[in-house]
This record gives sequence, C-alpha cells and structure tokens, in this order.
Amino acid sequence: MSLALRQTGALSRRALIRTMRVPQAWVPSLFFPLMLMAIFSGSFAQAPDRIPGFPEVAGFLDFIIAGTILQAVLIAGTSGGAAFASDIEGGFFDRLVSSPASRLALVGGRITANIVIGVAFAAFFILVATIFGARISAGVPGLLLVLVFTVFLAAAAGGLGVTLALRSGSAEAAQGAFPLFFALMFFSSAFFPRETMDGWFKTVADINPVSYVVEGMRVPIAGTGDAWDALLGLAIVIGLAAIALLATLRSLDRRLKGDL
Amino acid sequence: MPSVFIPSLVMPLFILVATAGAFRGIGGLPAFEGSSYLAFTIPMATVMGGGFSGINAGMTLARDMEGGFVDRLVASPSPRVALVLGPALAAMSRSAFTTTVIFIAGLIGGVALPGLAGTLIVYAVAAAFSVATACWAMGVALLTGTVQATPLMQVAVFVSIFFSVAYAPREAQDGWLRSISDVNPVTYLLEASRDAELTGVSLSSLGPAVLAAAGLIAALGAFAMLGLRRLGA
Repeated sequence: MSLALRQTGALSRRALIRTMRVPQAWVPSLFFPLMLMAIFSGSFAQAPDRIPGFPEVAGFLDFIIAGTILQAVLIAGTSGGAAFASDIEGGFFDRLVSSPASRLALVGGRITANIVIGVAFAAFFILVATIFGARISAGVPGLLLVLVFTVFLAAAAGGLGVTLALRSGSAEAAQGAFPLFFALMFFSSAFFPRETMDGWFKTVADINPVSYVVEGMRVPIAGTGDAWDALLGLAIVIGLAAIALLATLRSLDRRLKGDL
Repeated sequence: MPSVFIPSLVMPLFILVATAGAFRGIGGLPAFEGSSYLAFTIPMATVMGGGFSGINAGMTLARDMEGGFVDRLVASPSPRVALVLGPALAAMSRSAFTTTVIFIAGLIGGVALPGLAGTLIVYAVAAAFSVATACWAMGVALLTGTVQATPLMQVAVFVSIFFSVAYAPREAQDGWLRSISDVNPVTYLLEASRDAELTGVSLSSLGPAVLAAAGLIAALGAFAMLGLRRLGA
C-alpha cells in the first residue's frame, strides 16, 4: 500500500509539474473565475441590501467567493481530464500499464494533482477577496471547512475528467466536459441565490446538486444558512466525489481489459 | 464549418437563458426601472453573438493561413483588402442570423419585439460589433498565422463585453467597474441597443454608439490592415 501511495505521489508530482509548465492548462482556471468574481461583485454590489429574498451577507463579494471556487475547480477538472487523455494519446498511459505500477496510482496521481490545484486556487481566491474587503465569517475553522469542501469538489471534478478521458481516449472529447460543467454551474445558485429565482429555472436550480454544494460552502464564508445547509452540502459533495471515483475505477478496469 | 458556427450560435443563447434565469432578481433594483431581466439581457446576447461572429472570421482566416489558402490568394491578382473585407461582411450576416435567433428566444420567453426602428438598431449594433471584432480577430490571425491564437481573439472580446454594462446599468455598478464602463466603447453600443430594446429609439444613446462603433471599426480595421501589410513583408 505504501508503494502505491509513493507511486501516486510521484505521478501526482508529474501531473502538477506538467500543468505548471503549460500556462494554457491553469491560467483559464484562474483568469475567468477571477474576472467573473470582479464583474459580478461590481455589477451586483447593491443586490444584498436591496433585492427582496437575498440572504443577509456583508457584501456581494462575500457571497460570490463560493461560486468562484466552484468555477475554478470545475475548469481545472476539465483541464486535468484533457491532460490525462493526452497521456493516453501519447502512449505514456500504456507504458505505465505495462510497468508494475499500482493500478490505483494510474488514476490517483492525476486526481490528487487536481485536488492540490483546487485547494491552491481556493486559497488564492479567498486571499484576493480578503484583500478587497471580504471576510470569512466563521474564521479559521470556516476556512478549513471551505478547503474540505474544495478537496471533495476537486476529487469529483477530477474524477469525472479522468473518467471521460479513459472512456474516450481523446483530449478533445475530455475537454468536451466543459459545457456540461458550465451548465451545471450557471443553472444553480453559484452566482445568485435561489430565493430570487422563479419558474423553470428555479426548478432546475432546486434539483441541481451543485446548488447545495455551493450553498454549503457559503455557510462558513458568508454566514448564510445554518449548520444543516453546511452538512447537507458536505454530504452531497462527498457523494459526488464517491460516484465520480467509482466511475473512474470502473472505466479504468474496462480500459485495462480492452473494452474501451 | 459547423464546429465553428454552432458554438457562436449556442453560446449567446446559453448566456441569454442562464443570465436571465440566474440573475432575474437583480431586475428589482431601481436602476433597472422595472424592465424584465430577460429583455435587459437580449442586447448583451446579440452583441455577444456579433462578437462570436467576428471571432469566427479570425479563426477561419487563421485556418486558411495554416492550410496555405491565403498564400494562394496573395499570389493571385485579387486585391488583398478582400481578405479582410469579405470575412467582415460574412461576420455581419452571421450576426444577423444570431440576432434573429436571440429575438425568437426572447419571444418564447415573453419579450415582444421593440418595434421596427428598435429592432433595426439592435441588429445594427450587433452587426457593427461583429465587424469590429472581425477586424480584431483577423488582425491577430494575420500577425500570428496560427489558429492557436484563438484564445487571444476570444479573451479580448469577452473582456470588452463583460467590463461594460453587460450585467447591470452603470447606475447600479460599483465605483471601479463604473470607471471602466465609462471609458469602454462597448458600454455605449450596449446602451444604445438596450434603449432600443427597452424604451424605444433614443438619440441620446444612439449618438455615442455611432461614435463608439466608428472608433472601434477604424482602430481595429487599421490593426487588421497592419496585419495585411505584414503578410506581404
């Protein structure tokens, strides 16, 4: 087991180094969420005080941090999946398979790298938001809880990205997960509260698990909701991560058997 | 080439539906003067559709450069300016198609057309932006000669739209964003289109929009021409 962990660590380091060497792989994950955080907080600054039903928060910037982290983690998941598919296309994956490397490490390295990237991005966004006046309402324990959320969210997004890579074997197809992530994010309460939505859009946001994850993250950051919301969000994100990881292992098994 | 054209149609539609649905509540602010957020978002979606049409022109030109088609055109006796003018006109017609689809989506969502003059202004603003962004994207394509420069074409267009009055009128914006919006020409294009969509033709917003469009097309057209000159160098 310790050998498998060491191999996972080594493959994770490789994935991180390769990601950092290719700015296209990580700059969009930082740039677009940061840009939207700035634009939304500048456009909707009056919303918390004036829109009926808007949860009580210190400012829109505090409200939007959770959605920003979510966005970055989802984009990083897509990029990670595409990078894994490139390894398949380039033959690196096959060389690993023919070596005595642990089967778990084959996928664990990339997903662990995704988690590290996700946590680093979350810390970065919180730092930037703090510089511009946001505050984590639950203090250091709240910050730790947000990072726990991020770990599972990144595992879910990374797992889904790797699953698509394993099933398609194509970087382009793995990158195709982006519209799905984009839709999941926008048709949720990531950027605006469900209390202000109505009609079919609210129905979609109500059944979208991403809404509950982001609302759970918002509890320690912006002080919205209560402990139940945080627990529900945490349970859902753990469930999503578990489903994604099971799907990854199943896809790995099928690829190793030659079914894919 | 459906892989180029379809995203330029789907993305503005997606932005329209997602933005109008997610941020519906913001329409309750006094600065929105009671207009529906879907109606408020239609001009942004049409301008974005124009932007995508322009980006497509640059992507297509970059592919033609990579494939050697542009070299053959340059070696032929046809005037070089046609390399830029043709795709710019094509971008205009694509933007008209996208605007029509956005209007139809608005009708389905319960937003009536803004009358003949208002409708024409919404079309014209999107078309003007498509020409400006086509000049930008083709300039990038001509200077880089590679389709890998597409993100550069896209980011500039997105940034110019998002740092304007895309999501809220200037009256509702926070200080720093308001300062950027005030000097961003896309703000004036969007305001003219939005006035036409929400309240009817307004000369007070049309004048600045004409100036902004002319300035953008002149500056970015000069950028594309610079790329054309480099092509022969």
